[in-house]
Parts: sequence; C-alpha cells; structure tokens
Amino acid sequence: MTPAPLISFEHVGREFDEGRIVALRDVNLAIDKGQSVAVVGASGSGKTTLIMLMCGIMFPSTGLIRWNGEPVTTSGAWTELRRSAIGIVFQEFNLFPTLSAIENVEIATFGTGIDRGEREVRAEAALKAVGLGARATHLPHQLSGGERQRVAVARSIVNQPTVILADEPTGNLDSVSGGAIMDLLFDLHRTGGVTLVVVTHNSGDADRCARRIQVRDGEVSEPAPMRVPEVAS
Amino acid sequence: MNHLQLAFRNLERRPARSVLTALGVALAVGSFITLYGLSRSVYQNVQQSIEEHGSDLTVRRRGTAELFGGTIPETNEPRIAKIPGVVAVSGDLLSLAATDQDAQVLAAGWPDDSFYWQNVPLEEGRQPQRGERKVALMGIDLARALQKHAGDTIGLLGEQFKIIGITRFNSVINRNLVIVPLTDLQELTFRPGALTFLSVKLAHPQDPAEVDRVSKAIEAARDLSATKSENVLRNDSMIGVLRAVSAAMAWVALLMGVLMVLNTLLMAVLERTREIGILAAIGWSRGRIMAAIVIEGFILSAIGSAAGIVIGVAGSHLLSAIPAIGRFVAVRPTPGLIAATALAAIVLGILGSFYPAWLATRQSPAVALGRA
Repeated sequence: MTPAPLISFEHVGREFDEGRIVALRDVNLAIDKGQSVAVVGASGSGKTTLIMLMCGIMFPSTGLIRWNGEPVTTSGAWTELRRSAIGIVFQEFNLFPTLSAIENVEIATFGTGIDRGEREVRAEAALKAVGLGARATHLPHQLSGGERQRVAVARSIVNQPTVILADEPTGNLDSVSGGAIMDLLFDLHRTGGVTLVVVTHNSGDADRCARRIQVRDGEVSEPAPMRVPEVAS
Repeated sequence: MNHLQLAFRNLERRPARSVLTALGVALAVGSFITLYGLSRSVYQNVQQSIEEHGSDLTVRRRGTAELFGGTIPETNEPRIAKIPGVVAVSGDLLSLAATDQDAQVLAAGWPDDSFYWQNVPLEEGRQPQRGERKVALMGIDLARALQKHAGDTIGLLGEQFKIIGITRFNSVINRNLVIVPLTDLQELTFRPGALTFLSVKLAHPQDPAEVDRVSKAIEAARDLSATKSENVLRNDSMIGVLRAVSAAMAWVALLMGVLMVLNTLLMAVLERTREIGILAAIGWSRGRIMAAIVIEGFILSAIGSAAGIVIGVAGSHLLSAIPAIGRFVAVRPTPGLIAATALAAIVLGILGSFYPAWLATRQSPAVALGRA
C-alpha cells in the first residue's frame, strides 16, 4: 500500500479581508516524505501563504490539509506538529535578541518533555551541525547575518523535524552567506533525510530541488523538473 | 535555561521599567503593611492598655459608639460594687490634655481607692496617698520624651502637677499615660462627678454565666452597658472608621501595584508581538506562552513584595517614631499580616498578568510575524 503523502492540500484556498483578497485558490498538492521542493513565484503571488498554511501558522479559508493522511484542523494539533515535526526558517532570522545562540536554539525544545540537561545537549549538537559550536554563547547582535541564519536553521532542526519549511532563507543575506545557508539546508536534506520545502527567488537554488512548485496569482502549478535534483540519501 | 531564567531575561531588557514596576509593588505592599498594621496596632494597644489595669468588665453609657464618646456618673460605682460576684469597681476619666511643653498627652483620672493602683509598676517614686491632690504619675516613655523625673512638675490643662512617680507599664498607651487624681481631672475638664467608664473586677471572670449575670445586673440601670474588657473595642466606631479608612487606603495602594504589573506586562506584550509569534511558530502552546508572561508577573510581584516588606516594617517604625502617633500606638505589623500581604500581592500580581498573557495568545501568529 502506498504511504500517504507527508503533506497534502485538498482544494485549499486562503482569502483575506473578508474575501476581497484571494491569496490562494483551490490548491491541490502532495509532498512526500524526503522530497525537496522549491516554491517559486513573483512577490505577492502566494508563496509565503502556502508555507504558512503548511505549518498551521495560517488556517485555510477553504479545503483541507492533511499530514501523513490525517486532517489537521485545530491549532493545538498544528502546535504539536510545529514542536515535533516541522522546522521553520524565516527570511528575517527571528532570533531573540537577549538570548545567546545556544539559548535561541534551546528555546524551541521547551515543552517537548525532555529534561533541561538533554535540551542543552541537543541545542549544542544542533549548533555544531550548522558549524556554530564555537559561537554558542554569542548574542545575535554579535553574529553576522549568515551566522544568525545558521542559528535559525539550528533552531529548526533541534527537535529533529520531518520537514524544514524555509521561507526565503537567503533573502537577507549576501550571495556567499546565502549560498552557504542553502548548502547547509541541502546537506540536512541529503544526510538527514529531512523533507525540505524552500521558498526562493533564486532559480539556481530552485534547480537543486527535486520538485518545483510555481505559484502565480494564487494558483499553483508544477512544471517538469529541469535538471537532476539533490536526492536525500 | 528554564522559564524563570527566560522571564528574567525579558525583564532585564527594560531594566528601568521593571525596577520601577517592582518599586510600585513594593510601595503598595509597604503601604498596605503600614496602614493595616496601624489600624490593628491601635486596636491591640488600646486593648492591652485596658487589660493591663486588671479590668474584667467595662461599663459605659449605653449607645456610646466609641470609648471616649460619653460619660457616666460616678454615683453608679457603689451600686455596681454591691452586685454579687463583683470584687472591685473603679472609675476612669480619660482626656487628652495639653502640657506646658506643648505636647498632647493622654491623662487618666483615677479615684484614690481604685483597684488599678494594685497593678501599677513603678520605675521610680511612689503612688499618691489618699486625698493627695495635684500629683501625677507619668509613663516612662513620656517621661523620657519630656525629660521628666519624680520630683519634677508638669503643666496639665493650665495647672501644675508634681510628678511623684514614673510608671513602667508594657502597653504603649500606658507608657505615655499621665495618671492624676480623679477629682483633679474632673475639675480641669469641667466634668465633676463624671467618668469615661467604670472598670469592674469579677470574682470569676472565666465563668461566662457569671459574667453574663453580672453584666445583666449592671445593665439593669437602663443607661449603662457592660462589655467584657477584651471586647470593648469590638464595636467601637472610631476604631471601625480607622480600620475602614486604613483598609480602603491599603487596598487602593495594593490594587495600584497590581495595575502597574498589568500595565508593564501589557506594554511588554505589545512590544514583543513578533517574538510571541515566533514562540508560536516554533511550537510553543498558548498555555506555555501564557505561563511565560505570568511568570514575569510573578517575578515582578515577588521582588516587589520582598522589598515592600522591608518598606512596610521600616514605615511602621517610622510612624511609631512620630511623637503624635508613637505616644498612643506602637505600629507593629504581625508576621501573619506581613505574610498575608506579600502573598496577596503575589497572587494579585499573577492575576494581573493574566490579561496581558491572554492577550498574547489571542494574536494570530501569522499577524504577529507580519505574514498576514
């Protein structure tokens, strides 16, 4: 029997301003576990809305979203998924300015049921995984933009998620730092088998994914892949 | 890192605001302890001063709302003395009196044969002899304040009295009391034959039936009411007003402290909208986000309460050091009052932080993150 897709959208629509703005309409898509997916499209096309729906930060106006075949409809269920199965990387880093790098990572482990010592061990391991083991005690303002985004990536993987949703993760970085962050995300995908969904404007980054989802004026389409993607091992 | 450390980090972001909020709570708690301590201490001190004279029943004019509020004729004394079960009766006339040193003191006029004299501890000097006039016994604290000793004189209500002894009572009121012959005080206050109250000593004060029987016998004279001395202030209107005013001021102060906590946390929540959105995005439940805000409220209230205890105790001592207050009452907040106030402030602070905490969880993570 074919396993259910990790994430599936069934006729999902999202409207704002009491229906005057339609961000997404009748989206049907399925993402399997271990895939790498690029979400591309012009600014304002609905890419971020798509990602926000995938992690339950936003709820659909119409349609149904399933995780592993199970419909997810409550905020509590989405919270649990974000805590245990979804890692999110934003364009703006979104770190806590008063917390050190390791504390910014550890904060994502609160409520997971693991004890404080284990939380610290996991946070340290996540920071090492993104190459920031030596910068653990630095505050965000003491880190470069690329390092801050690495901390954000470490935070997204500390709970060993099934999927990383990255919303333009290199948007605030120079090309060198941005390239390094994308390398890091694809490494995690390849070596950890984590599903990767990346919103990007960079066609080169999109080409590294197995799938490309095009969002245009709230509608989703899927052109054929242009090149061989980087496959999770 | 744990929730407590996280809350401290958040409070450290705005150190001035956090410190001022905790200070506001501290002042509220301090005011509460001092004001409530004051009203309680007045009650306790007056009660103690009455009990120190060895009185079991206090007889006052019926319908008198407060201790100093009326007079009764001293002609009642022999009738009450004849009631079976009554061991002794003493009249007592009280009056605030100006001294020749511009101090207001409490003066008590006692009859020569009062049983009160049996319970007067003397620091120096002697008790008055029967029929001796224009003599005074002075409480030790007042004597020290006015630098008087046995053998000196003191002007009371325009008349000179010879100080023949210094008393060493325990209660603050009695330690600042000037005792003079009843006749002298009646003359000086233009109240001949009048008493503020009569004190009755009973043969069996522990027997409720006996106390009740004697009380009813006393109250057979329709203008009199008899109360167990330990209950004499229970329905006293002055004490009631003092308690009500103190309580109202104390609660207003405490509620202001709570409002400060609420306001600070509300501002913090509004400032940290995006961060609360991030917490939601990384899987923090609404309950956990609420708890994080409430812990901040707890910390502010707890620190404020601790500082408030210091302020309250210090404030109580300062109040007692003011002569106009300290001569009548030693403001001493009890450990129970201190603990209850601190606990109330912490609980109210936590309750006050629930609204900002609830508000924090009401906002959509998407809106908080600027995604909608």
